Amino acid sequence: MTDITMGSKNEVTLWKWMRYSALLLIPLAWGHVLIQDILVGGHGINLDYVAMRWSMLGWRVYDFFLLAFAFAHGVNGLRQVLNDYIQSARSRKNVAVGLFIFWLLITLVGAAAIIGGVRLPN
Amino acid sequence: MQPNLKTTLSGYVTYKGGQGLYVFLLHRITGLGTLLFLSLHILTTATVYFSPSAYDRFIEVFRWPPVMLAEIILVFCVIYHGANGLRLAYIDLFKPELWEARRSNKAVVTTLVVAILLSLPAAAVMGYNLLKYGFGLF
Repeated sequence: MTDITMGSKNEVTLWKWMRYSALLLIPLAWGHVLIQDILVGGHGINLDYVAMRWSMLGWRVYDFFLLAFAFAHGVNGLRQVLNDYIQSARSRKNVAVGLFIFWLLITLVGAAAIIGGVRLPN
Repeated sequence: MQPNLKTTLSGYVTYKGGQGLYVFLLHRITGLGTLLFLSLHILTTATVYFSPSAYDRFIEVFRWPPVMLAEIILVFCVIYHGANGLRLAYIDLFKPELWEARRSNKAVVTTLVVAILLSLPAAAVMGYNLLKYGFGLF
C-alpha cells in the first residue's frame, strides 16, 4: 500500500480536512437538525425565535462554526465530485475558482447575518 | 454532453459494482442534496438581517406540506451522509487496511441500518408536524 502515488500536496491536505471536518460536523450538524427540525420544528421558527436564539452569544458562535465547516465541507465535496467528471487541468482550475467565489460570497452573506443579528420590525 | 461525463453516467448503470457502487452513489447524492439545501438555507436565513419581511415570506414556503416532506428526506440525507462519512473517515484515518478485503461490506449495511434507525424518530416527529400543521389533523 506504500507505492500509491499521491496527488498534489493541496489535494492531500483537503482530503484530510474533509475527514476531520466531518468528525466535527457530526455534533454540529446533527445537533442543529435535532434542535431546529425535531425539538422546535419549522412551525416554531420565526423572526422572534431567531432573535431569542441569537441573543445568546454561544449560539451565534455555534452557528458561525456550523456555517464555516458545513458549507466549506459541502462546496469542497462538490468540487471533488466535479473533478471526477472533468479531465482537463484548466477546466478543473476554472471550476475550483468559480466554486471558491461561490463559497466566499455565501459564507460572507451568512457571516454578516450572524454578526448583524435579527432586525426586528418596529 | 461531454463524452467522459456520458461514459461515467452510463457506467453507473452498467458497472457491476454492487453494494460498493450503491453506497458510493448514496453518499454523493445525500451530500449534494444537503449542499443544495444548505446554500438556499444560508441565503434565506440571512434575510433576518438583510430583509426581515422577506424572511417572513420564506418561512411560509418552509411550512408548505411538500417542502415539509422534502425536509424529512433532507434529515435522512444528513443522518446517512454523516453516519457513512464517519465510517469512511474512521477507516481512512485509523484502519486503512480494512479497505483491502471485502471486510467493509458488513459495516456498509450496519451504517445504513443505523441511519434508518436514527431517522425513524425524526421522521415520526416531523411526520406528525406535517399531518398536524399541513393537513389539520390531530
